[in-house]
Amino acid sequence: MAGAIVRSFNLPRKQLGLLGQIRNKQQPKNYSDAASEGKKYGSPLKDEDRIFTNLYGRHDWRLKGAMKRGDWYKTKEIIDKGADWIINEVKLSGLRGRGGAGFPSGMKWSFMNKPSDGRPKFLVVNGDEGEPGTCKDREILRHDPHKLIEGCLIAGKAMGACAAYIYIRGEFYNEASNTQVAIAEAYQAGLIGKNSCNSGYDFDIFVQRGAGAYICGEETALIESIEGKQGKPRLKPPFPADVGLFGCPTTVTNVETVAVAPAICRRGGSWFASFGRPRNSGTKLYNISGHVNNPCTVEEEMSIPLKELIERHAGGVIGGWDNLLGIIPGGSSTPVIPKNICDTVLMDYDDLVRVQSSFGTAAVIVMNKQTDIIKAITRLISFYKHESCGQCTPCREGISWMYKILQRFVEGNAEVQEIDMLWELTKQIELHTICALADGAAWPVQGLIRHFRPEIEDRIKNFKVNDLVSC
Amino acid sequence: MIRYLMIRGKTITSYRHGTSINVSSSSKQHGVEPKTNLIELFIDEKAIQVPPGTTILKAASLAGIEIPRFCYHERLAVAGNCRMCLVEIEKQVKPVAACAMPVMKGWRVKTNSNLTQKAREGVMEFLLVNHPLDCPICDQGGECDLQDQSMAFGNDRSRFVDIDYSGKRAVEDKDIGPLIKTAMTRCIHCTRCIRFASEIAGIDDFGTTGRGNEMQVGMYVKKLFMSEVSGNIIDLCPVGALTSKPYAFVARPWENYRTDSIDVHDAVGSNIVISHRTGEVLRILPRVNEEINEEWISDKARFSYDGLKRQRIITPMIKLNGELQNVDWKSALVSVANILQDLSTNKCAAIAGKQADAESLVMMKDLLNKFDSELLTTEQPFPQKGAGVDLRSNYLLNNKISSIDEADVVLLIGTNPRYEAPIVNIRIRKGYLHHEQKIGFIGPPVNLTYEYKYLGQSVELISQLKLGTNSFRAILNNAKKPMVILGSEQLSRPDGAKILAEVQSLCKAINNSTKVPKYWKIMNILHTNASQVTALDLGYSSSLDDLKKNKPKILFLLGADDPCIKKEDFSKTFIVYMGSHGDYGASIADVILPGAAYTEKCGSFVNMEGRSQQTNAAITPPGMARPDWKIIRALSEIAGISLPYDNLNEVRNRIAEIAPHLLKYGDIEPTNYFSQLFEISETIHGTFSDNPIDIKQKTLDQYFMTDAISRASVIMAKCVQAVVKQH
Amino acid sequence: MERILGHTISDFIKAIKQNGGIINSIKVLHRMDAIKLGKLVGQDEFGNKYYENNNNFVCRNRWVVYNEQLSLNYDASQVPPEWHGWLHYKTDLLPHQDPSRKKYKWMIKHTPNYSGTELSYVPYSTVKPKIEPWNPKK
Repeated sequence: MAGAIVRSFNLPRKQLGLLGQIRNKQQPKNYSDAASEGKKYGSPLKDEDRIFTNLYGRHDWRLKGAMKRGDWYKTKEIIDKGADWIINEVKLSGLRGRGGAGFPSGMKWSFMNKPSDGRPKFLVVNGDEGEPGTCKDREILRHDPHKLIEGCLIAGKAMGACAAYIYIRGEFYNEASNTQVAIAEAYQAGLIGKNSCNSGYDFDIFVQRGAGAYICGEETALIESIEGKQGKPRLKPPFPADVGLFGCPTTVTNVETVAVAPAICRRGGSWFASFGRPRNSGTKLYNISGHVNNPCTVEEEMSIPLKELIERHAGGVIGGWDNLLGIIPGGSSTPVIPKNICDTVLMDYDDLVRVQSSFGTAAVIVMNKQTDIIKAITRLISFYKHESCGQCTPCREGISWMYKILQRFVEGNAEVQEIDMLWELTKQIELHTICALADGAAWPVQGLIRHFRPEIEDRIKNFKVNDLVSC
Repeated sequence: MIRYLMIRGKTITSYRHGTSINVSSSSKQHGVEPKTNLIELFIDEKAIQVPPGTTILKAASLAGIEIPRFCYHERLAVAGNCRMCLVEIEKQVKPVAACAMPVMKGWRVKTNSNLTQKAREGVMEFLLVNHPLDCPICDQGGECDLQDQSMAFGNDRSRFVDIDYSGKRAVEDKDIGPLIKTAMTRCIHCTRCIRFASEIAGIDDFGTTGRGNEMQVGMYVKKLFMSEVSGNIIDLCPVGALTSKPYAFVARPWENYRTDSIDVHDAVGSNIVISHRTGEVLRILPRVNEEINEEWISDKARFSYDGLKRQRIITPMIKLNGELQNVDWKSALVSVANILQDLSTNKCAAIAGKQADAESLVMMKDLLNKFDSELLTTEQPFPQKGAGVDLRSNYLLNNKISSIDEADVVLLIGTNPRYEAPIVNIRIRKGYLHHEQKIGFIGPPVNLTYEYKYLGQSVELISQLKLGTNSFRAILNNAKKPMVILGSEQLSRPDGAKILAEVQSLCKAINNSTKVPKYWKIMNILHTNASQVTALDLGYSSSLDDLKKNKPKILFLLGADDPCIKKEDFSKTFIVYMGSHGDYGASIADVILPGAAYTEKCGSFVNMEGRSQQTNAAITPPGMARPDWKIIRALSEIAGISLPYDNLNEVRNRIAEIAPHLLKYGDIEPTNYFSQLFEISETIHGTFSDNPIDIKQKTLDQYFMTDAISRASVIMAKCVQAVVKQH
Repeated sequence: MERILGHTISDFIKAIKQNGGIINSIKVLHRMDAIKLGKLVGQDEFGNKYYENNNNFVCRNRWVVYNEQLSLNYDASQVPPEWHGWLHYKTDLLPHQDPSRKKYKWMIKHTPNYSGTELSYVPYSTVKPKIEPWNPKK
């Protein structure tokens, strides 16, 4: 889900640019063009710059081990510096939401940092990692939970929240269990709870497990789910920052975003900003799956070329780079890009927008030439059809219709003009719903038609020929 | 706070707010200075100023532009899920849902642009993809939003070729009781019924199950929709998924005649439309009246119409040899007139039933007065000690139904508004949900669809509250707009006068300890009978005991069917029943004169808040039945005292002589003389009886059959059965 | 006589005589719109009299004079079927002179058309009444 969250609702045009360019070719300007100085592309990360040092669970994930790796170090001092300092540091770091929409975190947190009207504020951490291809949050939840808990405390302080809810996907049993143990440890050590870290700041953390619905990764649906209702997205406005969890101001952030916050505060925003191209700064967890020799989750600098990422960490595409068909760069909801684009594209928000895809959650799904790309996309749409909550008409009716058409495309049992009709359908679904799930379902199909139209046409032609022969 | 969460999208202002709105093609041209608290925006290049928080849809409707919608309903929370109301806003990429989006300054909304039209067309297409082609056999045909809007905004070509491969979605129909027929395949998932059930009806039984394309609206389990206002979801449903079961396959809306009228099954006076054809009432629909019933009506008002066709008295009858025989009008009237000869004082009496109209009441009063009698009473007694019927404030719901939801504390004494007056209960629930209303309750514990503080069942509690020894008194004292509502049923107790006086002194005590706005009235009585206030207004001031004591020679029952009128008490009395239905009253009568039911006559009724309204004759009375006032007129002629009123206008002029406010239809005369009322009430002494406060209608099965019409109704009987089975 | 007055006038006078004088003839004229001369050939069970005058051309040579008690309330359906056949030239044999005409026991007596009278047939309603009246005995 996270990959599809697009907070484009009530924001000025400038921020809409994030999305606007996916649709709008006439808008060549993007952030990296605006700030031409700085790095042109990312390079491999040095070990000392890694934030998630226990990504593979080779070390102790509990409090003792975490402290050995530097967690909870001088947390009190960070908290004592106050909310404004933390927010400023996060703003300086250029951290953008890791859940997929890439909204600047500093700005988002500062929305909450205003005088209270008597209602408590809440931080909600979105650990409902349901997007096919994405598996970064679970590594944090099970192998580095203390990073997250410390991050909750710091982020909570920044926005003046009284409690954090960590919403963990229902299927992640061990992850929820590890996180719960880590929270218990932190409570016992006095790191959170009343007077957290002796800073005089009261902060509670609760774990809430989901029941396995992808849509609960959407922020308002997640809030509904925590409240005990059906996970169906709410209308915006009012935004969660005004009326969120239990009717109180709430910020929903991704696990990774929160978990990198302590490192940013400790090592400074400028350190974090030194990675990656301007406006795409920082390090990032990449999940590489599919037809690669060595599928893995790896922390790497932003803006690293896609080809380098795959060759260096995943052992290359099965059958060599030339055997590559296409890549879904940011989780299942982002449009697929063909090989010729993959050759040069950088893994960051702006460059992927340039090629009409999206950075999403940086879940790279590699497909080599043995893939039936139409079938692959159809499988994704079947997922979205199954996970649509059914509130909005375009999503409820549109996605299942798309699925029906695509199923026929797989065999080729269709007419060529239906490809254009399908394209139009995706346009009818896209942007017409409450949440972004429908957009996330429409984009893969758009990617398919944009780059693999000849393939579909061939399939239809072959079917017709075979049909004649069998007659 | 949690209560508030039930209403999503709180930024949406209620309809009360759009008061000061200027619409002009160009504000500058007309020299209208924009007020500081108004937002100016442009809808289709039309400048309009609205208060902040107004939604685009509302603003557009103020500018006279209709935006299509399915899920949006102005009296329900905003869901925003049908996406039909998407409109383009200039300089925004995404079309926004007009029903939910509050306006911002300077927006240029385009409700007719290319983008908007395409979005509508797309949504329409998606809705129709899985909608069955049922229109020829669908009861909603002709009043179907989907039909209308697909004509107006849909595409004229279908692209849905998958029908050849996969077909359309089919959903199993749900059985939700004897009133509502479901055809869930037609459902477009607007969730209006769900929101109505949880917000207005206060029953959270409705909801969605499943996800995505398999989402279904239903009751989760096979169950009866146990609500007294369930019929309203039929009106709310924009398609034919929820239709009326009794009306199924009966008629098309364009074939029916519609007559505006008033409901008389309770004392609310809900505005209704009678849909009829070929002299038959086919269905009853609500009519919007913001002051009374908004747009809801109770199930009894909506579905008991089949009672109008059963158990009817269609000929005059006389009891011969202990058996009622059909006779003609002449012999029936002559036999009554014979008794009326040579009567001494107070030997002639009348009891007004639940549904007697003002015209027949005034004629009856005049007739009896001619025979030197004042023995006029109502079926449900009203204590005559103290102010009696002399002060109107003594027996009205003084504070108006429409201001109930404004109250911050409501104390209900011996009344179950949920069943005695469902519309009032909806108002209280509205106050509870939107205005943080606190509710106290004295009486047997009942389910009122909202939380209340249960004080107990003892009558003594009223005294305790008055003296301040009960903790709820503190809440009443802190209230800005407290309301005390006393059920009229309690006034028929032997100690009714004492209860009334005690409640009045309680109100006085509250009034003294709080600062209540001038216009606000604390003391209220909730009546259950439609004719009660009318009769009291016209001076039906006797009591049943008086009648018994005087041993009248002749007793007229104006549709009075209450079992408290016993034949034994009037063993030597000649009983004349005048009414429409053969019920209890008719069975004890010596002569029966067939009258008209409320759908068959023009009659005036005053509701519990003192608002006069009139019913209109939709159909003619069956058989030999005649409007009641005409019967009395004819009787007077034969009895030799000719009442000088020959048509409805003359009767109404007579009403105007007695009570002019009865003819100011739709208006309420504000009540006053409260200080005098309280003074008089203090002169009443007496003791409470030991009986705890009881209420007749405690559960839903007791609600459906309460008067002659609903007792004759098969549909209502089915409802009772269904409810009993559910328990 | 015939030679002097000619056929028409002598027939006219014969007809008036046959109809019972001038006053009676005026009554007949009022009732039947014609005064006819003819031979009485028979009378049926209802008292209708049947005449024949073959001097008239076919279609005018056989007629019926309905029972006088019917006054003006006569109509063609009052002719029983056997006379009907003779009147309409289905047969030239008079009913009571026809040997081949059969009489069976089961043959019912002829009834005229009762439409418009109290005896007319009205089918009972199969529709449920719209209003169900109250029955005090129940």
